[in-house]
This record gives sequence, structure tokens and C-alpha cells, in this order.
Amino acid sequence: MKVAVIQFPGSNCDQDALWALRLVGLEAELVWHTERNLEGFQAALLPGGFSYGDYLRAGALAKFSPVMQEVRRLALRGYPVVGICNGFQVLTEAGLLPGALLANTNLHFTCKEVFLRVERTDLPFTRAYTPGQVLRIPIAHGEGRYYADAETLERLEQNHQVVFRYTAPQEAPSQEGYNPNGSLNDIAGIVNPAGNVLGLMPHPERAVESVLGSADGLPFFQSLKQALEVVV
Amino acid sequence: MKYHITLLIELKDGILDPQGRAVEGVLQGLGYPVENVRVGRVLEMEVEAQSEAEARTTAHNIGKALSNPVMEVFVVEAVKELA
Repeated sequence: MKVAVIQFPGSNCDQDALWALRLVGLEAELVWHTERNLEGFQAALLPGGFSYGDYLRAGALAKFSPVMQEVRRLALRGYPVVGICNGFQVLTEAGLLPGALLANTNLHFTCKEVFLRVERTDLPFTRAYTPGQVLRIPIAHGEGRYYADAETLERLEQNHQVVFRYTAPQEAPSQEGYNPNGSLNDIAGIVNPAGNVLGLMPHPERAVESVLGSADGLPFFQSLKQALEVVV
Repeated sequence: MKYHITLLIELKDGILDPQGRAVEGVLQGLGYPVENVRVGRVLEMEVEAQSEAEARTTAHNIGKALSNPVMEVFVVEAVKELA
């Protein structure tokens, strides 16, 4: 039950991810991106940051890192693979998840708390949530506008692959303006058809203790722990 | 032989380009009668190849590796033999 937290040059949420995973009692280790062997790991987490300085495109160069072949192998074998923020961008660039993440509509790097609705609770990342639960989780990105062509988008919706959606809390004075980046269908996170590869722009690892402002991200990691215990 | 390659990577038509819009707004503010401004990328490189055709194929493969077909298209803009 060991989780690999992949470190690319420019990753900067790797330590936070490690902290969150260990907080729920998971064994986790940092793995440098040139590593060619993930033997002994039952899950991989691609953390946020600016892999390769976001040069060319966010995630575009990281997909060629040697470790990505092993991440792909884990994914194909059905082990949980999570990409958070830049990690999500890497997963789409690598073709492990459909679509792409484009520059936020307002062109701002946006760093704030947002509200997310949990659309699925049958996944190794969400089983500790309740259906429709609204979470308060921070985002911090400049390229988070989820885009896919109409056909892909329809397929995502039909297969229930949208896991997290930006939403407005019920008590909000306005039910508009909650989508922070212009993502199509308010998409904040999606999963592959098999349900083991998940990408999301918000940062659950930055919301695992109330002292951080929210602990709504904690069940995300608790879910993973539960799921990995079943695997073993 | 060595060839100089120019590769263009652009957002597909129909994909919102906020950078292009920002530039468009500024250009219009300066009084230029422009519209539909799009911002792309230019990559230049020198490549070793036996012929211009081979250099062009290499350029095409590089364009494929570096562009994201979900939202981008690439064009091998120029292949020039270096003296």
C-alpha cells in the first residue's frame, strides 16, 4: 500500500501531497521523474506545480519523463493514479485522461477557495464523501479551463466521468460567477472510464486540516486509504 | 546536411484564445482596424538530415510530439538548407 508522489522538476505541491497521504496513515514516498521502475507502489500521485516551468504548455514536457511509462503501466493495471492541478494537466497531455486544460478565460492566475460538488462517490478517491456533498477547496492555477470537443464532453457526461464540478454554495447571494476559469460544464475533475485515473484542478492536499481553512480534502485521502486497503 | 526548421503551433479555430483577445483589445485601442487576433508559438531548430524530404518528415514528427491535438494544430512553416 505505497503511494508514489512523482516529483518533476518544478513540482511544488509534492511535500503537501506527501503530508496529506501520511496524515491518513498511507505509506508514501517521493519519486524523481527519471525513475523507470515503480515496482512496489500501488498508486501514484502527480502533484501540482510547474513541471518544466510550464514551458511549451502546462504538462507538455513532463509527459515525456521516463517515470510516465511506469505511471501508465500502473494506470493500465487498474491502480489508482491521481493528478492534482499540474498533475491533471500532465495526465491529459499524456492521454491518460481526455480533454485539455487551457488558459483561464480571464487570463488571471487564480488562487482562492472554490466550492465543488461531488458527483460520484463510488471511486477510490471519493468513497468517503456523500453524493452531492459540497466541498470548500482551494485552487491555484492559470491554466485550468477544462476543454474537450462536444463529442468527448457528451461521452464524459454519459459515462458519469465528471467527478467534481464547480458550484455555488446554497447560501451564496448569487448562483452565478462560481466557475473560476471558464471550464466547460463547470468541470473541476474527471475520471477515466475504468474509474482509477482521476485528475482535478483544485488542491485537496491544501485542505486537510482545519488550521488550513478547510479539512474538506481529508476524505479524498481517506478514500484512497480505504481503497488501497481493499486492494491488498 | 543541416536544415533550419520553422514550426508553428496554433490553437485550433473555434477555441477561445483569451491571449489573442487581450492583444486584439490593445491593438484596437491603438487604432488598428484588426479582428480575430490569435496567438500561437514559433519553434525554430536546426536538424541534421540527408535530404530536405527527410528534414521535413523529422519536422512533422516533432510537430506531432510537441503539439496537443485536442486544442492545437501545427504547421511546418519552412525547411531551409543551411550553407
